[in-house]
Amino acid sequence: MDLTLLLQSALAGLTNGFVYALIGLGLSVIFRGTRIINAMQGEFALIGGMASYVLLESLGVALPVAALGGAVLGGITGVLVEAVLVRPMRRRGASEESYLLLTLGVAFAISAAVLYFFGRDARLLPGIGGEASALFFDAAIRVHAIWLIVIASAVMALLWLFYHRTVVGLSMMAASVDEQGATTVGINVPLMRTLTFLLGGLVGGLAGVLVSPLITIHYEMGLLLTLKGFAAAILGGLANPFGAVVGGVTLGLVESGAVLYFASGYKDVVSMVILIVIMIVMPNGMLGRGARKGG
Amino acid sequence: MSVLDITNLEAGYGGMPVLHGVALSVGRNESVAVIGANGSGKSTLVRAICGLIPILAGEVRLGDVSLQAIPAHLRVGRGIAAVLEGRHLFGELSVRDNLRLAAAHGARLRPGARRFDVAQVGALFPFLGGRMDSAVELLSGGEQQMVAIARALLLNPDLLILDEPSTGLAPKVVREIMAVIARLRESGMSILLIEQNVALAAECADRAYVMAVGRVVHEIHAGQWSTFRQDETLLRAYLGGAAGPAS
Ligand SMILES: Nc1ncnc2c1ncn2[C@@H]1O[C@H](COP(=O)(O)OP(=O)(O)O)[C@@H](O)[C@H]1O
Ligand SMILES: [Mg+2]
Repeated sequence: MDLTLLLQSALAGLTNGFVYALIGLGLSVIFRGTRIINAMQGEFALIGGMASYVLLESLGVALPVAALGGAVLGGITGVLVEAVLVRPMRRRGASEESYLLLTLGVAFAISAAVLYFFGRDARLLPGIGGEASALFFDAAIRVHAIWLIVIASAVMALLWLFYHRTVVGLSMMAASVDEQGATTVGINVPLMRTLTFLLGGLVGGLAGVLVSPLITIHYEMGLLLTLKGFAAAILGGLANPFGAVVGGVTLGLVESGAVLYFASGYKDVVSMVILIVIMIVMPNGMLGRGARKGG
Repeated sequence: MSVLDITNLEAGYGGMPVLHGVALSVGRNESVAVIGANGSGKSTLVRAICGLIPILAGEVRLGDVSLQAIPAHLRVGRGIAAVLEGRHLFGELSVRDNLRLAAAHGARLRPGARRFDVAQVGALFPFLGGRMDSAVELLSGGEQQMVAIARALLLNPDLLILDEPSTGLAPKVVREIMAVIARLRESGMSILLIEQNVALAAECADRAYVMAVGRVVHEIHAGQWSTFRQDETLLRAYLGGAAGPAS
């Protein structure tokens, strides 16, 4: 096989992989902190992408500010969902599965709202470095894609430091490991759950902002991103947020490798097949009781 | 004046009371035990004091503050620290992180109180020094119990609550923990000790309350320990004869 083609495909896979990793990271941050499988993680990306588009195109804000605004709106959405919907359900003793339905419902509602307010048009954000590409040996990669990988990596590193080196991050972990233990140490466990959704929303919103120059912002984009992120997360072990990074990059590379053999239209099929295979090979999966315990 | 004052307490699960009109108090610099058979409501009492379950009726006062309206996590700020039954450590975090969390939240919630820091706690439990970077879940049961006590002390409490700290541990380890409790007692810490073993309770507490089916059914006043322990009828009635070995 042509080496340039292989390299080209690896670069594309790496770029996609980091997007899946970010979505998967957000999913497992929320799963780890609240035991909720968040079916609206992709909608955070939709909101983030759409918000920065509106800020940029309609309000004329500078790109970095618009990008930040998109991520922040994702975070705010996360907080609202937790405080307005999840918290009252928890107070009434809802079962684990009911949160999956809740977030799925919210995902459809957000998708419908975007359709209602913004229509079916696909929108594209300008990337960092515009349309420019860099040559890597003979393979081309969008400058924006390089920035996507750099920024995503930085976010992952910061998140790791946050969880392991700051009192708030450690408290969030402690609250997820042992709620009663955390409470008796003076940790406000419900607040930690809200912060978890804030983080998950921020990461999701940022993923949307970063991916929107590469794939179009569209009212239907959320669900597919959620599924890809979910595949990344369970590939890496759902309860371990940083497993999602490994899972996402693996998934991206496998997908783009498969495109070399099949038509590119089968890309999504490949990752869904991977998702199904993981679930069958590990019937209790990484979603099994063991991993649910706390990872 | 008492540190802890409980009157007519009702508390339980799902709105159903398990405790029926419990009253007890712990004075300043006093060590008080609660003994009673399995299922008599001792841990439920601890959970109610800590705010992990709601107080259905009656009152729990800490110093001159009623705890009812204070959220569980803020009770640390009022001077309570508890080692719950089963310890409830953060198993996958390191010893250092478990202690660091307690020190940080203790300092935040009780800015005035400065009694224990990590170094002092390390002096109380010398083994900690070498295990700081181990995940807590990899420690032995005895070591975990000591981390749990250390974690509670770092909250700088006025009242330390220990729920069955000796359960499931080897006799040698139990002695070590009892020695630590004795030292805390000498240092003037107020202690509420939940203990099934009457001999250990007698060793560590000035006086005690005996619980059965959610009620305080007997009080052992200071100086009455030996009378109680020789009273077969009482032992059998309240503790099913589980008086523990004479020490
Ligand atoms: N989480 C719970 N939910 C419902 N009932 C409980 C719970 N924990 C304890 N109980 C009940 O409360 C009573 C007292 O239990 P507990 O306070 O744990 O007793 P002790 O600590 O003295 O062994 C028992 O009848 C027990 O079945
Ligand atoms: Mg108990």
